[in-house]
Amino acid sequence: MSTTILGISAFYHDSAAAIIRDGEIIAAAQEERFSRKKHDPRFPHHAINYCLEEAFIESSELDAVVFYDNPLFTWDRVLKNCMMAGPRSFDQFKKASRSVLGIKMWVKDYIIRSIGSLGKLDKLLFTEHHMSHAASAFYPSPFQKAAIITLDGVGEWATTTIGLGTDNRIELFQEINYPHSLGLLYSAFTYYCGFKVNSGEYKLMGLAPYGEPIYYDAIRENLIDIKEDGSYNLNTEYFGYLDSSVMTNDKFNNLFGGSPRKPESYITRREMDMAASIQKTLEEVILRMALHTKKETGADNLVMAGGVALNCVANGKVLKKGIFDDFWIQPAASDAGGAVGAALLVSHAYFDIPRKINPNGRDTQRGSYLGPAYKPSEVVAFLGRKGYPYERIANPQQLAEKIAQVIADGKIVGYFAGRMEFGPRALGARSILGDPRRRETQSVMNLKIKFRESFRPFAPSVLAEDVSEFFEMESESPYMLLVAPVRKERCLPMNLRKFQEGDDNMSAVITQSRSDIPAVTHVDYSARVQTVHPSDKPDYYHVIKKFKDLTGYGIIVNTSFNVRGEPIVCSPQDAYRCFMRTEMDLLVLEDCLLWKEEQPAFEDTEDWRKTYELD
Amino acid sequence: MRQSFEYHPVIGYRFIPGLKARIPHEGGGYLIRVNDCGFRCERNFITEKKPGIRRVLLFGDSFTAGDGVSNKYRYGDLLEKKIPNLEVYNFGLPGAGTDQQYLAYKEYATGIKHDLLLIAVQVENIRRVAGHYRYWLNERGEQVCYAKPYYELVDGTLILRNVPPRKEPIHEADLSKEERKFIAVGRFPKLKKMVKLVTRVGLKDLAQKAIRYQLAPEYNSPDNPAWQIMRAILEEWINNNRQRVLLMPLPPYQYVEEMGDPSHYQARFREVASATGCMLHDPLPDLLKYSLEERRGFRFQKDVHLTPQGHAALATSLTPILEKLLDDLEQGVHK
Repeated sequence: MSTTILGISAFYHDSAAAIIRDGEIIAAAQEERFSRKKHDPRFPHHAINYCLEEAFIESSELDAVVFYDNPLFTWDRVLKNCMMAGPRSFDQFKKASRSVLGIKMWVKDYIIRSIGSLGKLDKLLFTEHHMSHAASAFYPSPFQKAAIITLDGVGEWATTTIGLGTDNRIELFQEINYPHSLGLLYSAFTYYCGFKVNSGEYKLMGLAPYGEPIYYDAIRENLIDIKEDGSYNLNTEYFGYLDSSVMTNDKFNNLFGGSPRKPESYITRREMDMAASIQKTLEEVILRMALHTKKETGADNLVMAGGVALNCVANGKVLKKGIFDDFWIQPAASDAGGAVGAALLVSHAYFDIPRKINPNGRDTQRGSYLGPAYKPSEVVAFLGRKGYPYERIANPQQLAEKIAQVIADGKIVGYFAGRMEFGPRALGARSILGDPRRRETQSVMNLKIKFRESFRPFAPSVLAEDVSEFFEMESESPYMLLVAPVRKERCLPMNLRKFQEGDDNMSAVITQSRSDIPAVTHVDYSARVQTVHPSDKPDYYHVIKKFKDLTGYGIIVNTSFNVRGEPIVCSPQDAYRCFMRTEMDLLVLEDCLLWKEEQPAFEDTEDWRKTYELD
Repeated sequence: MRQSFEYHPVIGYRFIPGLKARIPHEGGGYLIRVNDCGFRCERNFITEKKPGIRRVLLFGDSFTAGDGVSNKYRYGDLLEKKIPNLEVYNFGLPGAGTDQQYLAYKEYATGIKHDLLLIAVQVENIRRVAGHYRYWLNERGEQVCYAKPYYELVDGTLILRNVPPRKEPIHEADLSKEERKFIAVGRFPKLKKMVKLVTRVGLKDLAQKAIRYQLAPEYNSPDNPAWQIMRAILEEWINNNRQRVLLMPLPPYQYVEEMGDPSHYQARFREVASATGCMLHDPLPDLLKYSLEERRGFRFQKDVHLTPQGHAALATSLTPILEKLLDDLEQGVHK
C-alpha cells in the first residue's frame, strides 16, 4: 500500500498544491498557472485538482492533507505586532485579521468544499512555515546530510532559520523573528524603487549591476545591524510594514533623498544605485550566515529555500566562496514550494517513510517538471476544433532539428513541450527561445515579445557538458538559480563613458554587444545559467544539441513563455493566445508546429494589457 | 480545465482518446480515463472475447458515461464487480442522443464479439434525437451552437443527415426560422428565465411536483414525430444486432422523486420491446422502493446526474436481471 499526501500552500502569495507518494514528488503546480492571475494567493482549487489528476487518486483515498503553515501562530504574530505598534496600526490589523481569521482559519472548510474530503486521516495537518521551506529544500536534495538556511519575508514569526537535515530528520536550531526580516528589507527597496513587492524583487536584482553601491553605508548605519554570524536586526523606525500598508515610511524616504519612484516612471541612477546597495547588503548577510552555518553544523552541503533563495546573484557568490562542497536550492523557493515541503515533511516525519536519495547523485525534484503535460492527441484535438493550421513532425530528431534551424535563422520560437515547470523559472517546457549570438535578440524579445522593461536580461540554456565553455562555472545549474560570469575570452569591451559620467539612459549600455553571446550577457558580464542535462529533459536537450550542430554554440536564449504580468502559460490554449498576441514566429505545441503567418486573424476577446496587472 | 472532447466526422464528437483527467465538480471532482477509441471505459475494446468471459456492450449518454463520478463508481463498472467474469464495454457519450449512440455503435462496436447489448436510454434523449443542433459551453463558459448528425424518417426509412457535421460553431442567426426549431434545448426554452429564477430560490422541485411536470411530452402519443424517429432508431439497432438486447429506459430524477408521471414513456418502451422481442428492464419500480430521502441522494445538489449512490442503486436493480440473462444465454435458453 502506498502513502499519498496532499500539500497545500495558500493565502499569502503564490498558492500551490503538491502531491507526494511514498516520499516521491508526483506533481506540484502553482494556482496562478490555471487561474491566469499572477502570484494568485487564493485557495488553489485548480492546482489541487491537477495534483489529484496526476496521481489519479480520489480525495477520500489520500492518506493525509497538510497545510504549509500554522494560522494560529500567524494570528499570534498579527496580534502582538499590532499591540506593539499601537493605534496607528489599526488599518493593518483589520487587513491582517480579515486574512487570518476570515480565510486562513477556515482552510479545512475550503478543502472539503473543493475536493469533498480530508482523506483517510479525516483531519487537516499543519506544519510551520519555515519548516515547510526547510523540508522543501532538504528532502528533494541529493544530500543525505545538509545544513539548511531558509530566508523569506515572514512566516508565522520566523523570517530566517538555520538548521540541519539528516536522513528523515530536520532540526531547525536558530531563527530570526519578525519584524527583523531580510526578505522584507529587500522588498522595502523593491517598493521604493517602484517595483511590485513579492514580484519585482527579481527586477531589482537585475537592475543592480547598472548601479554603484553608494547607499551601502547608509543602509548599514541606519537600517540593519549585521552581526558576525550573519544574524541581523532591522531598525524598524524606517519601515512602514509594521503599522501601514506600504513598505517604507517618511524616515526611510528622507534617508534616500525623497519619495519612492512611481511605478512605470523613468528609472534613474538613484534606483540603480539603491539596487546595487541593497544587493551588496543582502550578499553580505547571506555569506556571513553561510559561514556561520557551516561552523555550526559541520555539514559539507547546504540547502536553501524561502523567497530570498531565489536571489541567484547571491547564490552565485555563495558557490564561488566555496564555503560548502555543494549546495542545492529548492527551485520553487517561495511559498509555492511550501506545499511540496509540507507534504514531504508529513511523509517522512509523520508517516516515517524512508527518504530515498537518488543513487545517481542528482536530486529528486525531477527537473522541477512537475506540472501538467498535454498529450499530442489533446493538442491535435484543440487545433482541430479551432481549425488552426499546423504541421506535425512525429520524429523527435527531425522536430529538434527543425526548431534549431528556425532559431539559428534568427526567429523567435514559443516552445511548449512536456510537463510544465514548478517554480518561477521556465526551464524548457514553457519557454520562448532565441539565438543568443544575435545582439538584437534581447531587444526584440523584451519589447516585441515580452513587452517588458528593456534592461532586463535573458537567461541562457546551455548543454550541461558545455557550461564551462561559456561561463566560469563547473557545476550544474538545472534550475537557473545560479549566476556565473561569462568567460573572459568571450567578453567584449563596452563603452560606458557616457553612462559613467551620469547619463541615466540605460539603452546606451543595453544595445552594446558585451560578448559573442550578447543576448544572454548582462551588463556586468554575468548570466543566469540553466544547464540542460539529457536525462532531465531530452527533447529540450536535443534542440540545443541540434543548434550546436548548426552553429557551434551549445547554448540558446530561454525566457518564460508569457508576456509581462501574465503567469507562464499552462495549456495549449494559453500558449496559442500568447503566441498570437506577440511577435513570435513559430509555436511548437508538442509535435505540432504553427507558423504565425499561416494563422487566421486572431480575434482577441480581451485587452490583455488590462487583464494582466503589470508586475 | 482540459478539453475533453474532439471532433468526430460521423458521431459529431468523442472523448479525446487516451485522456486522463479530473473534472472539478460539486461532488468534489471526479476522475475520468478514456480508452484508445475515445470512450470513457477502463478497457480498450478488443474484438475477440476470452473464453469464460461474458461481455456486455453498454450504450447511453452522460448518465452511462458517468458525469459527476469517477469511472469506478458508475453502474457499468459496478456491474463488473457484482457479476463474475463480466466485462462491460462502456460506450456512454455525454450529451449524445440515441441517434449518435447508434452511430457510435455502428462506427466502433459492430465487429466486437459480445453476449449482450445493453441500450440505456435516458428518457430525455428523445429531445436530442429530434434536434439537428445543440448548444455546448466553450472554454469561456459561453453557449456555442454546433451541428449534430441526425436521422429523418422518410417513408418509414431512416435517412442520416448532417454527416459529417460542420466543425465550426453555427450562429443561430444564420439558421433559417424553420431550422432554428431543431436546436435541441430544454423543455421550455421561452421560460428559461423563469425556470432559472424558480431554481435559484430553491422552488424548482416543489413547482414540478405541484404541476405534475411532464418532462418529455414527446412520449404521450405513439404518433409523435420525435418518438417515431426514436422508435425507428431503436428498432433498427435492436434488429441489426445479432446478440440479445436489453433495453433500459433511465428515468430522470423527476420520475425517481415522483414529481412526474412516467406512464407514457413506460408504455412507449414496452411497445418497442414487444415489437422487437428484446428484453426490457425498467429500473424505476426498484428505485421507488428507496425512501424519498435516499432517492434525493441519487442526484447531486445542483447537477442532476447520478451520485455514486444513484449508480449503486441502478446497478443493484440491474444485477439480478443481467446475471440471469447472461446465465440463460450461457445455457442456451435464449438463441
